[in-house]
Amino acid sequence: MAGIWVYADNPSLTLELLTAASSIAEGLKTGVAVILSHDRDRAQDYIDCGADEVFLLPPLSGDRSAGDYAPVIADAAREKKPDAILVAGTSGGKEIAARVAARLDTGLCGNCISMSVEGDSLVMDRFMYGGAAVQKVAFMAKPALATIPPRAYEPSRPTPGRQGKVEELPAPPISGIKVAGRRGREKRTEDISEAQVVVCAGRGFEKKEDLAMAREIADLLGGSVGCTRPVSEELHWLPEELCIGLSGIEVKPALYLGIGVSGQIQHVTGIRDAKIVSAVNKDENAPIFAVADMGIVGDLYEVLPKLISALKKAKG
Amino acid sequence: MREIVACFKWVIDEAYIRRGSGGDLDLSAVNYKISDYDRNAIEEAVRLKEKCGGSITAVTVGVPEATRGIKDALSRGADRAVFIADALFAGLEPSQTASVLSEAIRAGTQFDLILCGEGSSDLYAQQVGPRLAEKLGIPCICYVQKLDVEGDLLTAERRVEEGVEVVEAKLPALVTVLPDINTPRIPGVKDTLTASKKPVVTVTAAELKSIAEARLKTTGITAFRMERSCERFGTDDKEITRFVGALRKKGVI
Ligand SMILES: Cc1cc2nc3c(=O)[nH]c(=O)nc-3n(C[C@H](O)[C@H](O)[C@H](O)COP(=O)(O)OP(=O)(O)OC[C@H]3O[C@@H](n4cnc5c(N)ncnc54)[C@H](O)[C@@H]3O)c2cc1C
Ligand SMILES: Nc1ncnc2c1ncn2[C@@H]1O[C@H](COP(=O)(O)O)[C@@H](O)[C@H]1O
Repeated sequence: MAGIWVYADNPSLTLELLTAASSIAEGLKTGVAVILSHDRDRAQDYIDCGADEVFLLPPLSGDRSAGDYAPVIADAAREKKPDAILVAGTSGGKEIAARVAARLDTGLCGNCISMSVEGDSLVMDRFMYGGAAVQKVAFMAKPALATIPPRAYEPSRPTPGRQGKVEELPAPPISGIKVAGRRGREKRTEDISEAQVVVCAGRGFEKKEDLAMAREIADLLGGSVGCTRPVSEELHWLPEELCIGLSGIEVKPALYLGIGVSGQIQHVTGIRDAKIVSAVNKDENAPIFAVADMGIVGDLYEVLPKLISALKKAKG
Repeated sequence: MREIVACFKWVIDEAYIRRGSGGDLDLSAVNYKISDYDRNAIEEAVRLKEKCGGSITAVTVGVPEATRGIKDALSRGADRAVFIADALFAGLEPSQTASVLSEAIRAGTQFDLILCGEGSSDLYAQQVGPRLAEKLGIPCICYVQKLDVEGDLLTAERRVEEGVEVVEAKLPALVTVLPDINTPRIPGVKDTLTASKKPVVTVTAAELKSIAEARLKTTGITAFRMERSCERFGTDDKEITRFVGALRKKGVI
């Protein structure tokens, strides 16, 4: 019996969850199952990558959304009683996890940042107070549910010759929600989570065109540009996958340079593993300076042109 | 539209949290606030009311001290409030909060649309909204950036991995909002004055059937540590050169 289930709304996240699941399956002396809605014909690939069982969800018509699977997943779990269900922490994943948890009347650790097995139980860490604290949680009911942020685990690799079972799950009941249209993202931008230098643009920039200066510095340093949540979500100057922090992504560069970034805890949470944190801000009391190794107190419109020419000079 | 419910949480303002000498959380100097994105939920209720009419009930589950949050929510435009208050509610986990909310709402609050924030500022569990929808057996639409209601049909743009999904649902329904759905207005003196005249219904733990057991137990909380050298630089050419030199010396460029 597979006691750890994983569910993600896309293939690469499914592979990451398989790595996460394998890391606890041994300690809990159980197997791993994948709940699969996309690329159903790839069930054997997931078995090769560590699944002992695959549960196939029937495809949905175009006017239905993935959230409709919540009752099916909950019913399957009620019948088969897994120990844990790990769900990829995308927006769709977080919603489905909460709804499945409610249906099963069980606990959900949202945005889990680490997990381990203590004795025969799962223990998880997550952020609290925007990242000012780490909360350790234990589960008082089964199954234990958790959402896992994308890219927290390496994708699992295949071991050829593995065997596993494939089982169909029933079609979900009609829900009260109808999808009337879809718009894709404008374009996929680069993945900055592995960048060695990250230049982060904050709301201190007065207009979108001025971000060119951040871009130029990033180019000079061979790095990438990221941003704070207001820059992506309120101003829509950059795509949301470049938002760094609690609700965005985590970056671990050798150098982070925050420009016009105040340094609220929710943002700083996403740069905690940067080797060097630097910042340019005109307010000497901005919280970013308390969490920066090197801070320039000054107006970015005065500092950046100088910084650009100094970097050019340093490059020779 | 008839009845809009906005769920909000009264939380510690995390900007005031300090790290004690032993690595513990120092909450001695904290202030409280309406959870950031719940201000967007209340504002969206007000915006919809301005457009389609109806009335707004602000609902919160919290300790008795959260009464300051009730005043704040009413000054932001709610017509009345339901305050589910008890000292027992200090450390509820999301499944408990959702049960308490659903029981109290079922018992005496009309609703056609329930609005929640995308996540609370303290726990950011991102659960109470969808859990509440399941408990009430109504459709749930999360991470909404644009919302419209015509008659009893709701249209929402919600953020998904692949981009945006435009969805429709019949009321009653529950929606969780993203911060860019609107810009919450700042209450003026007049709003604060009228707020104190609006009706507030208080529900205590004793009036609820029972409080569900926690499904998730907090076994420890540690303050996050970020130790940085905090060197300052000025803005003249010499200082900028020194800054670039320091980056070089540290081997990061
Ligand atoms: C639940 C929750 C989750 C969140 N998640 C995230 C997240 O993942 N990522 C994130 O970034 N935020 C997140 N936030 C928002 C976060 O709290 C802050 O509001 C946000 O990070 C602030 O962005 P900012 O620094 O760009 O803007 P501001 O706070 O407005 O700061 C702008 C800064 O620029 C400076 N400035 C202005 N003009 C100039 C100039 N000419 N030269 C130099 N400096 C200048 C100002 O002094 C100020 O410090 C979250 C909030 C909540 C409640
Ligand atoms: N104690 C509470 N009282 C009322 N609403 C709440 C409470 N806790 C959470 N909510 C609502 O649920 C949303 C998500 O909270 P959370 O699941 O804690 O991230 C919040 O934005 C609020 O709208």
